[in-house]
Amino acid sequence: MASGKAARMGEEVWKTRTEKINLEVLSLTYGTLISQLCLDLRLASNPSLPDYAAVNTELERMGHSIGLRLIEDFLAKTSSGPTATSNPCSNFRETAEMIAKVGFKIFLNCVPSVEKWDREGRSFGLVFEEGSLGGLGDWVELPDDGRAQGELWFGNLVCGVVRGALEMVQMQVKCEFASDVLRGDDTTEMRITLIRYIEDEMPPDDE
Amino acid sequence: MESRSPSIACIGIIGRHNNPLHISLLPVTGQDGQPNQERNRLEYTFMLNSSLDIFEARMPSKTVGHDFGLLHALDEPIALYGWLTNTGVKLIIVVDMGGRTAQTAEAGKTAILGLRTSDLTPAFQALQTAYIRLLRNPFYVPDDHDPRTTKLRGSLEITSSRFIKEVERIGRTWYPGITAI
Repeated sequence: MASGKAARMGEEVWKTRTEKINLEVLSLTYGTLISQLCLDLRLASNPSLPDYAAVNTELERMGHSIGLRLIEDFLAKTSSGPTATSNPCSNFRETAEMIAKVGFKIFLNCVPSVEKWDREGRSFGLVFEEGSLGGLGDWVELPDDGRAQGELWFGNLVCGVVRGALEMVQMQVKCEFASDVLRGDDTTEMRITLIRYIEDEMPPDDE
Repeated sequence: MESRSPSIACIGIIGRHNNPLHISLLPVTGQDGQPNQERNRLEYTFMLNSSLDIFEARMPSKTVGHDFGLLHALDEPIALYGWLTNTGVKLIIVVDMGGRTAQTAEAGKTAILGLRTSDLTPAFQALQTAYIRLLRNPFYVPDDHDPRTTKLRGSLEITSSRFIKEVERIGRTWYPGITAI
């Protein structure tokens, strides 16, 4: 079963081939990044209020450039060793399993479940049960200014990472949050939608 | 006439520059545990203020530990206990010896015998944990609540609803002899 194999691979790589960092250091750093962005990016119309939409975009952009580089690390770690996979994923469902069981396990030590496939199988949701994104949002309380709860996606960096990583393996996807426990929803869910497979394009002819 | 037992009347958290970060008042509870009578905020603010002098006075002589124990006993029913953290933040708990109806006969006797300082240690530890949890929130900026470094105007008190609820929960659930809150 593809998901069992992916889960085992994720566990094995997590245990043997990853360097670990203290989760508190990571979540405090990430949290400071977000709160500093909120202080820096202000609304054009009212400079005393943070522009949460701009913060979301900026986080996604940062995540995108992280993802472009992270995919190399991911492929290197998963293509050697006893549970290696030498074949690329044959369909989008396998890709989803790899992202959830291996990717997130290796880098964030959390395993979201893949759910809510749409009818054509081009869009799925990653649901995180225990807290927000494996502990990144553990101590966070969104500011009580009436807007943060509705506009800020705390984990948006991770969306960018997924988008950037998949872009390097010829998949253009749209990745965004559908719900977040920090906003008061029951679960944190990230929706990933395949837009198209990127075919290699020939450079424009010189003649 | 029902016997009374001690309950927490007020919890104060004072910053390192003696600026109030948060003050929670808990009402006197009656027969069925329901609030009977509200407490006067101004009166308790003055009490907390006066206890700050005791911290200053004892500071040089206190070499080890952070539990200041009984700071001051005011009148018959009110007693103040304090705890100083290493960062200069002071946690003060005001106990009203007759603040709630005694649940058991034993509890009623405590009002007459008095509290041991160690009775309040679980409450102080829970308060410290709540404060640490607040500090870990990346959106809480301690500088904003410090009169020397803040750029904000107006009240510098803590506004985090989660912290305030936790403080009130600690105040409500404490009773003498409780081991962990």
